[in-house]
Amino acid sequence: MPIRRPAAIAFAAGLVVIVGGTAGLLLTRHSTPVLRPVASGAVALPAPTGPIVAAPQSAQAPVASPVSLTIPLIGVKTQVITLGLARGGAMQVPSSTTVAGWYTGSPRPGAVGSAIIVGHIDSETGPGVFYKLSELRSGDDVFVKRADGSTAEFRVTSTQTYLKDHFPTQTVYGPTPDAQLRLITCGGAFDPATHHYLSNIVVYATEIR
Amino acid sequence: MRFSKITRQFIMLMGASALLLGVPAAAASASSSAAQGTGWIRLAHLSPNTPPVDVYLYSFGNSNAKIVLHHVAYGEVSPYEAVTAGDYSVAMRSAGAAASSQPVLSTSVTVKANHAYTVAGMGPESGLRLQVLNDELNTPQGKSSVRVIQASLKQQTVKFTCGGQAIVPKATFASVSSYQAIPANTWTMQAIGSGSTATARFSMAAGTVHTMVVLDGTNGLEIVNLLDAAGAGQPPAGGVTTGFGGTAGHGPGSPLPWLAVIGAGALVAVGGGLRLRRHGLRRQANTGV
Repeated sequence: MPIRRPAAIAFAAGLVVIVGGTAGLLLTRHSTPVLRPVASGAVALPAPTGPIVAAPQSAQAPVASPVSLTIPLIGVKTQVITLGLARGGAMQVPSSTTVAGWYTGSPRPGAVGSAIIVGHIDSETGPGVFYKLSELRSGDDVFVKRADGSTAEFRVTSTQTYLKDHFPTQTVYGPTPDAQLRLITCGGAFDPATHHYLSNIVVYATEIR
Repeated sequence: MRFSKITRQFIMLMGASALLLGVPAAAASASSSAAQGTGWIRLAHLSPNTPPVDVYLYSFGNSNAKIVLHHVAYGEVSPYEAVTAGDYSVAMRSAGAAASSQPVLSTSVTVKANHAYTVAGMGPESGLRLQVLNDELNTPQGKSSVRVIQASLKQQTVKFTCGGQAIVPKATFASVSSYQAIPANTWTMQAIGSGSTATARFSMAAGTVHTMVVLDGTNGLEIVNLLDAAGAGQPPAGGVTTGFGGTAGHGPGSPLPWLAVIGAGALVAVGGGLRLRRHGLRRQANTGV
């Protein structure tokens, strides 16, 4: 008996440590998950069956410039600045990591075509405005407020990760016949030698009328 | 035989944790390959003397309409609807006719991913037909593209000009021209018939694709400018540089410390188990069981 009890305690303690270690390992595999509303019943939204408006389509109904961006699911609420092209033809990026920027060579959000908005995933010290962009999934909402006070509402259709070396320029920036939005940030592995991430995360969204 | 039981339990535990670790990784890689098979379709009524119609879009083989446009009158064009690539049919019924009634006209259309289509009721009422048009999305770099649909019955033949140049010299009723690239600019467009001329100024930005529809208006010809597609006038080169790495090390982190903890726990448990087993064997020997 005197020998048996410590052995049993050791055995039990060992198991507790294994369970604790496994729990710790699992918990640290995930960052804080976003609070996504639980879909009730069917996963997919029903196809629109009712009448939709057949208004005479007048081309280029004027759309005001974007001023702010809200993505409730990942806590983004930010000003939108304007961006052009840098030398070499790549897009400029915001000098601040806490704001998003709209490429003025792309359509305004809500106008026909792919409006392009970029933001940083992080600074040298912590998260940037698009830190959680990769957590967006099909069906999530994105709102862009414009200079005239109107708001364009978009719904995410997909989230893709591309190696920067194989960035599909045409797919991301190419023309579309409807109003779409592209939200872009960095992601994937970080190369400490070049101080750059190796991939881009692109969220595709379509305007809801 | 307690030892082998402990070993088995330990292996099962490790196996279960490996499985738990593997599942999120697999889920993450699966979610990044979302389906991209989407095309676009829009519906139009371009038959001058045909009364308003109800237009139905069906996914092929499904009798429940995906989209219904009520009371579409001459000159009306719907916005583009994004649809899953595949086969569809479009049916036209007189405005207000029952959805179950025999359509006046119907046609099938195959929607390819990343392609756009216009399905238009064309021609005079006596020869009404549904025509499927392939819509262009791209323009040559820095240019705008334009095509002309001649839907005026009163002016059977129309000359269409852009900045004074005839881009369609002789557009006959119910014809559709091919797309032409024009320099990006604000242009004066004219539709010139024998008895009527329409003039309008349109901004034709680089990367935009337009369809100019010539209609019979209340006072002679009219030009309706449809925007078929728009892209960045000057697309950026490549991706973007939007990170400084401040959170790169903050991700999941190394699993090694936790694996070490699990390993240490396993050693202690196995050690304890072995001692329990040895004690049990000795007791068996002592009692002679």
